[in-house]
Amino acid sequence: MNFDEPVQGHLHWNEEEYGVGRKEVLKTIIILSVVTVGEVGIAIGYDLLMGDNGGMKWLINLIMAVASVVKVYFIMGTFMHLKHEKKWFILSALLPFSFLIWAIIAFTVEGASWHAMRGLLNMF
Amino acid sequence: MADATLHHAEETDKSLWEGGHSPFRIGYGKVMMWYFLISDTFTFASFLIAYAALRFAQSDAWPKAAEVFSSVPIHGLDTLKLPLVFVSFMTFLLIVSSYTMVRAVQEGYLMNKWGVVKFLIPTILCGVAFLGCQYLEWTHLIHEGMTPTHASELTKIMNFGQLFFVITGFHGLHVLGGVVLNTWLCVSTMNGRFEKVGHYEMVEKLGLYWHFVDLVWVYVFLCFYLL
Repeated sequence: MNFDEPVQGHLHWNEEEYGVGRKEVLKTIIILSVVTVGEVGIAIGYDLLMGDNGGMKWLINLIMAVASVVKVYFIMGTFMHLKHEKKWFILSALLPFSFLIWAIIAFTVEGASWHAMRGLLNMF
Repeated sequence: MADATLHHAEETDKSLWEGGHSPFRIGYGKVMMWYFLISDTFTFASFLIAYAALRFAQSDAWPKAAEVFSSVPIHGLDTLKLPLVFVSFMTFLLIVSSYTMVRAVQEGYLMNKWGVVKFLIPTILCGVAFLGCQYLEWTHLIHEGMTPTHASELTKIMNFGQLFFVITGFHGLHVLGGVVLNTWLCVSTMNGRFEKVGHYEMVEKLGLYWHFVDLVWVYVFLCFYLL
């Protein structure tokens, strides 16, 4: 591997940029910790309060899904530095994920269909 | 000369795409690391979507996370019912290691060799601790009777164990790879390899990989423990 090739991009910071970046990641780690503690708190709280009853589960799931997207936004945006890259690079990294939207819809519908046909298929 | 071309390119966005330099303004290695991680995301996404399909197919009998992962898998503590506490600790380990990794990258921007080492060591230790926790968790669950081929009394469904061991195992393999690469990185930094090269881009590239491991865990955690 040749390490001596000239590399493009912003690989050296001055003290000022370092200070700004340091504050940014400190803020991010606090947000991530708070969101994670909140998620776990809601999960345990739900289990204690509702128990076997199981009502309002969809709302809990929605909160968890949104919280995960928030976490991914901060990990990718700040920790992986994606927020500060060129627009076309951000798009080239994020657009492929749009394929997953249909995959998730298609396979959950498929799974629900297997559930409906369990008596007929008897494959599980 | 190269700087002048680049400066010109910055001003006229069109010539940014006419060759001679990266239009994305980041190094080749970093671009390729990103594209590798995107492809890896699809592997994990396939696993998790398979999980979703199989779970929907058996939605009425699917085991509850708070029951399966009801205790801390450490001898002496396992009689206490503390659901999700242990796995939350594992999540916390990965988040902290992500933070120390990004701090190592920032020290690299300053060309501060021992700063990079100072933050890489806790990153590696958190990775090792995570793997140790996974070992405890797995042995505990296998002891309870949940294996890739058998359901325990709690899980009842074989698919749950299969998916759990395959997905967390594949993620654990990524963590192991990250720990090995970060150890190499730490030793190379100590030996002054990147000082000679003139930049710490390698720390950034492996940092991207390490954050990806954390990112995947967010979704593994969501699917198995929270939903």
